[in-house]
Amino acid sequence: MAGAVLTPDTPTRPGGTARAVSDAALHDPLGRRWWIAFAAASGLLALFFGVILYLLFTGVGIWNNNNAVVWALDIASYDWWIGIACGSLTLAGILRLAGGTEGSVLGRGAISRLAEANALLCTIAAGLYPIIHLGRPWFFYWNLPYPNTLGLWPQFRSPLVWDAIDIVSFLVVTVSLWYIGLLPDLATLRDRAFAEAQSERAGRPRRWPMLKAQAYGVAAAGWRGSASHWQVWAQAYRIVALLGILLVVSLQTGASVMLAGSVLPGWHDTILPVTFLVNAVFSGVAVTAALTMLVRALYRLDAVVTLRHAEILARILLGLGLASLYGHTAELVSGFLHGDAYARATLVRRFAGPQAWAAWTVLTCALLPVHLFWWARLRRSPGALALVGCLVAVGAYADHVMVLVVTLSHDFLPAAALDYRVGLWGIATFAGSVGMFLVLLLLFLRALPVASITDLRRQAGLGDGSARAGAEADAPEPGAGTPLWGVSAEFATQADLAAALRALARRHPQHDDQPRRGNTIRLDAFGPVPMPDALKGLGRHNRSILPYALGAALAGGAAFYGMCVYATAYGYVLDVGGRPRFSWPSFVVPSVSFAMMSGTLAVHAVFLFVNRLPRLNHPAFNIPGFGRAMQDRYFLAAEARGPDFDAARIARQLAALPEGAGRPLAIARVPR
Amino acid sequence: MAQLFAPGADALLRLAILSGAALIAGGAVVVAGIARSDYVTGVGIAPAQPVPFSHKHHSGELGIDCRYCHTTVETQATAGLPPTQTCMTCHSQIWTGSDMLKPVRDSYASGEPVRWVRLNKLPQYVSYNHSVHVTKGIGCSTCHGDVTTMQMTFRANAFEMQFCLDCHRAPERWVRMPDQVWNMNWTPPADQATLGPQLVAKNHIHGGDRLLECGICHR
Repeated sequence: MAGAVLTPDTPTRPGGTARAVSDAALHDPLGRRWWIAFAAASGLLALFFGVILYLLFTGVGIWNNNNAVVWALDIASYDWWIGIACGSLTLAGILRLAGGTEGSVLGRGAISRLAEANALLCTIAAGLYPIIHLGRPWFFYWNLPYPNTLGLWPQFRSPLVWDAIDIVSFLVVTVSLWYIGLLPDLATLRDRAFAEAQSERAGRPRRWPMLKAQAYGVAAAGWRGSASHWQVWAQAYRIVALLGILLVVSLQTGASVMLAGSVLPGWHDTILPVTFLVNAVFSGVAVTAALTMLVRALYRLDAVVTLRHAEILARILLGLGLASLYGHTAELVSGFLHGDAYARATLVRRFAGPQAWAAWTVLTCALLPVHLFWWARLRRSPGALALVGCLVAVGAYADHVMVLVVTLSHDFLPAAALDYRVGLWGIATFAGSVGMFLVLLLLFLRALPVASITDLRRQAGLGDGSARAGAEADAPEPGAGTPLWGVSAEFATQADLAAALRALARRHPQHDDQPRRGNTIRLDAFGPVPMPDALKGLGRHNRSILPYALGAALAGGAAFYGMCVYATAYGYVLDVGGRPRFSWPSFVVPSVSFAMMSGTLAVHAVFLFVNRLPRLNHPAFNIPGFGRAMQDRYFLAAEARGPDFDAARIARQLAALPEGAGRPLAIARVPR
Repeated sequence: MAQLFAPGADALLRLAILSGAALIAGGAVVVAGIARSDYVTGVGIAPAQPVPFSHKHHSGELGIDCRYCHTTVETQATAGLPPTQTCMTCHSQIWTGSDMLKPVRDSYASGEPVRWVRLNKLPQYVSYNHSVHVTKGIGCSTCHGDVTTMQMTFRANAFEMQFCLDCHRAPERWVRMPDQVWNMNWTPPADQATLGPQLVAKNHIHGGDRLLECGICHR
């Protein structure tokens, strides 16, 4: 049981607490049920591909779209998926930003990982819609600016182009946030798989376990848990979280402005950008809450996701539900008080027209059920949270249908009114995209930790040095002929490590990367969690990658905006309804999205460059017992720089440190 | 702990990453190159025709005017392909026994037109009018190249949208004096910079804005 797993005294296996922590996140209780669910989800995915094939042969008419209702379930489904993705990304980003670099009240662990994964999977499910809803999907790349034989630029005033830039940026940011969070966990998985491969009984083939370990190893990009890895990692995580939240604001308000760019009634209230944003975050948090409660029940994560977390999620949902109610009410009130006749007629048709079912579903599924959370008992009920989460998702879908179809099916002229009926193919397409989501979700649940092992370790107190010393096998000293990489020392706590680092740093003032005179050693620290104390000991605690991210975001946004201006005002002048050549507001949405993508890509590049990653084979892995650096041990490495390196002297200096203030558990000479 | 990866693994990983990047970048260049290649556009490729008609001989060496055969080029959207009777105005008198001209005589006898292989095709969603281009000063050779040097006729330009837009964006660079329209060796004269805008104004060509509307070609 996970409840017992996190108390330090229970585990008896080698590896102790940390091993148990990662077990809690990796525990797979589903067994055969996983395969049944996977088969069902694969069936839906096959349906998706079947529908797309039929669609490619036939055209978007199969969805019952017509000359008036050009957008129906296709765009509603896209908006729904991307809305949930936006909400999940916002929740994940806020969890990451709240509470500083150290742990947070909300207990990131499982909620954060599931929110990140949910954001990514929903984006992938949404990702195909902008392509398949085109008349000629095989020319989807005409939306992107590239040197073409048409002599044309994309029309940057068009929301279709905004969508293309938005979805690409969104995919980059969600993948990044998910992958950065996963990176240390992948290293843990790598070391576990490697340990298992090495401990296989003789006679059994070791090829596949090794390949599995190496696959995790490539994915972990050579993560060694060094103090600077953790430092840049924590910064990268928070920066991408912030960029993601800003992207959500750009995307959702942009979606509302896209509709307002038309002349059609019902899409022009000034509160709509805020309502769109609130509704998206509302649906995303709801689905994440439902998913978290489901995983909590299946994986018995009662200790990782406590009722306190359920209560906080319920409160957030209640707040968002109230905000959503305000948005809907404000739209109605302002529409009826001072809207024009067509806007008023659209509002009336929402509740009395042929699509009235949508409006009533919004009311009963999205707006009303959250008010159950006024009762404290229901706020602490995982079942109620899961139920309300699912209902809000249903209501959000109805909301998108209502906003799109009611307006489109009847605009200004009676002659232009065409009714729309939901058809089987539209439902099948949506069900297929759900299948894609489920297949990917099940694969994620099976292959990767459902909760962030790093966050769980920090919550279990491994970051503040409560891990105990264990028996350590003596490592063989390298032979006389082996070239020496450095000297390593092993510690049970970060405090010991930091004390030893400070002591060594005092005796060797030149210990950084710069190759200069008198620089005989390079100090580094390795551990399973971020190590601010060790960084201070190394004197590297003031480094920040924020300027690079900020610079790249601003430069990327400015460059994209400049491209829009050049293309529209000079390169490809096209009179669209008398709009000015310099239609500056049209370029803001894609430029902001592109800026967020540029910042995220820069964060990745800087992260890899500063840490000299990926580096699969590194002498640090030769440190005896280094596998536990991903679990519960802290290591110091004094790397040899130049001929004056004196391993014996450093070992003496380390061994002379007082007990409890830097004395290592073990000291070893590490071969290159 | 031992090393999970051999020392060469990093070199392999870098090689794989660089190869992947090179493959993506190179693949894009190759695809773009193929899309612009003569193989795809058909530029410079002279297909076999039922009769090996030579523009070089007839138009270049004998000096027959374009309009002798392409009779509707000044009045209609299409320039017109000559009927067999046009060929027979001469070939009932000269080369009457030539084997090469047997399909023409057969066509004349049977009334079945000669089935020429078409070279210059525009998509069905493009509306193009020869007469308006010719009468406003755009010469044959601007699009069709110097046909008078072609032994077997081939497509001189890939009629991609960029080709049309180049001229529609700046018609003053290509517009000719009326007597120069049929000149197959025309190059912009030294005073094109002053002559072009005058001709554009005289011929009421609304370059830049009107000519760039989608509906000017895509009706």
